[in-house]
Amino acid sequence: MIDSFNHALDDVTGWIFETLLQPLMYQAGLMDWADDALEWLEFGLFGVFSIIVVYVVCRPLEAWRPVEPVTDRRAIRTDIIYTLLTRLGLLPMVAFVLLASLQAWWEGSVADSGFVPPTLETLFPALREMPLLAFAIYVVILDFGEYWRHRFQHTFRWWWALHSIHHAQRQMTFWTDDRNHILDEVIAALWFGAIALLIGVPPGQFPLLVLVMRLAESLSHANVRLSFGRIGERLIVSPRFHRLHHGVLSIADHGKNYAVLLPVWDWIFGTADFKRDVYPRTGDPEAPEALATGGWLRQQAVGLKRMAGAVFGRGTA
Amino acid sequence: MRRRALLLSAPLLLLARPAAADLVYVLNSGDSSISILDAITRQELRRIPALREVHHLVLSPDGRELLIADSGGNEIFFVDPATGDIRRRERVSNPYHLDFSPDGRFLVICSLRRNQVDVYDARSMALLARLRMPEKPSHMAFRPDSSVVYVTLQGSGTVAAISLATFQPLWEVPVGREPAGIVWHRGRLIAGIMGSDHFAVINPETREIEKQIPVGRGAHTIFAQPDGRALWATSRVQSRLAEIDPSTLDVRRVIDLPGGPDCIAFDPDGRIWVTLRWAGRIARVDPRSGEYETIRVGRSPHGIFVQPRRAETEGLVQTSAAGRGANAR
Repeated sequence: MIDSFNHALDDVTGWIFETLLQPLMYQAGLMDWADDALEWLEFGLFGVFSIIVVYVVCRPLEAWRPVEPVTDRRAIRTDIIYTLLTRLGLLPMVAFVLLASLQAWWEGSVADSGFVPPTLETLFPALREMPLLAFAIYVVILDFGEYWRHRFQHTFRWWWALHSIHHAQRQMTFWTDDRNHILDEVIAALWFGAIALLIGVPPGQFPLLVLVMRLAESLSHANVRLSFGRIGERLIVSPRFHRLHHGVLSIADHGKNYAVLLPVWDWIFGTADFKRDVYPRTGDPEAPEALATGGWLRQQAVGLKRMAGAVFGRGTA
Repeated sequence: MRRRALLLSAPLLLLARPAAADLVYVLNSGDSSISILDAITRQELRRIPALREVHHLVLSPDGRELLIADSGGNEIFFVDPATGDIRRRERVSNPYHLDFSPDGRFLVICSLRRNQVDVYDARSMALLARLRMPEKPSHMAFRPDSSVVYVTLQGSGTVAAISLATFQPLWEVPVGREPAGIVWHRGRLIAGIMGSDHFAVINPETREIEKQIPVGRGAHTIFAQPDGRALWATSRVQSRLAEIDPSTLDVRRVIDLPGGPDCIAFDPDGRIWVTLRWAGRIARVDPRSGEYETIRVGRSPHGIFVQPRRAETEGLVQTSAAGRGANAR
């Protein structure tokens, strides 16, 4: 099944690359980047596929047992724009490529000393023969990094000014996951990419890592009355678990349930709330109305202004 | 009488039959793995996980080890070519393309990402010299007397000559946009001009381009047939495999091979095995008829090597420099 999907994806990617993209690159004198372009194209197609999968999984769930009725379709449309802009993983990929170039330069600079940077597999050779286990460890480490980035988003006033765009949504659906200020996305991408390179994530696995995390995040934002049970709630972040994080009483540094994929981090660091019957109203009562109901551009401008206010000690944060 | 003849000739018949199928090694650069295929059934026997990005490989001068370079993983696998077993790994800085000098003394490694060319002692793997180069050193060819290595610089559009006596650059000449594969052929260098549609024939003495061999857009790599009767060149944009006359350097014929043909290996029966970078497949081409079949492997297959496993050759040293070189790029 997985092989069939991979083969189909490879065939479609190869066909598009050979018939459309590569001739253009040839004309533009960019054949140097052919290998990278092929990888990126595959990643983009994978991203399109992931949007389809998220829709197919989450939309019926939302129709089945919604937490609340849909009353503001315009707000959802704005979230869809956010999703289309970021779901293809463009920013994480750009950050990864940028950081990979920096890493190559740095490693080249220290290469004369004979130093060769380690990776997770060189530190733990057994992982070489177990790529799936290595992949799982990468997911755990990166998820740990995401937990702390999320904590910091709620801790620092300037960062919360950006992140409150995400929390201002009162009509939360599975589209809400990508509702972030673009600067917040850039920081997130650099954060994620840096950790990925530090632990030596194989470039081929990086897109898959991003997609696994993003699929989980989409489901956790879904407007569905769904918990994973007493044990499941402690293993994987559920829509119930994350909705509590988006509750009106869980803003800024009053937050609970920060985990992206694995609730264990909230458990360890004392930020977990496992009340399984609570589905609070979502939104940020302190945020300007534009952040809740404005369009994409308006929200970006207001978010930037609020961040500047937080940095220079003016306005709210 | 017939039975006696059969009994007498049985040992000879046993000697003549293949002990096992040839092994085909394919480096899947896109999903960090090495596929080992049975050349007869075309089935994948084994897939070895690599760390990051495997691109090129080369057989050691004594034929006993296959060196597989993982450029992103900063290491070289030393593999038993007869079995596929990994004997050891060496930590090496970004090994992209690699080859042994014809005299077997040096292992030269191009680092595409770090703009460096490293010269190692082939026996001890001690780093003898590290040369900072202009942009993107990618492929190499040696002067037969092992005195000079010639490197294509993809980013600079040049070919550079490096002395293996002093480990110093000798000269650098522009050859065209994004040069890639390069081979030494009868006193000339032939380099694929990837940003163009031809191979450039360079006189290393005068440093002039004497001829262009048109093969199709995205001219990429070139390999000498082990018996010396032909050169085979690939173009990745127009997806072609071209047969070139070794004397006149004219194109004899072109085989359209969709999928972005890249590296080539030859098996003992003269068939050509080609990696198809954009298709996740390799092609097995019959040079007599021009017919081919494709076999699915991993993502973005790049380097390829055929290990003969005939009863009479198994374990023996392959000494053909042409054969070694042809399988190594």
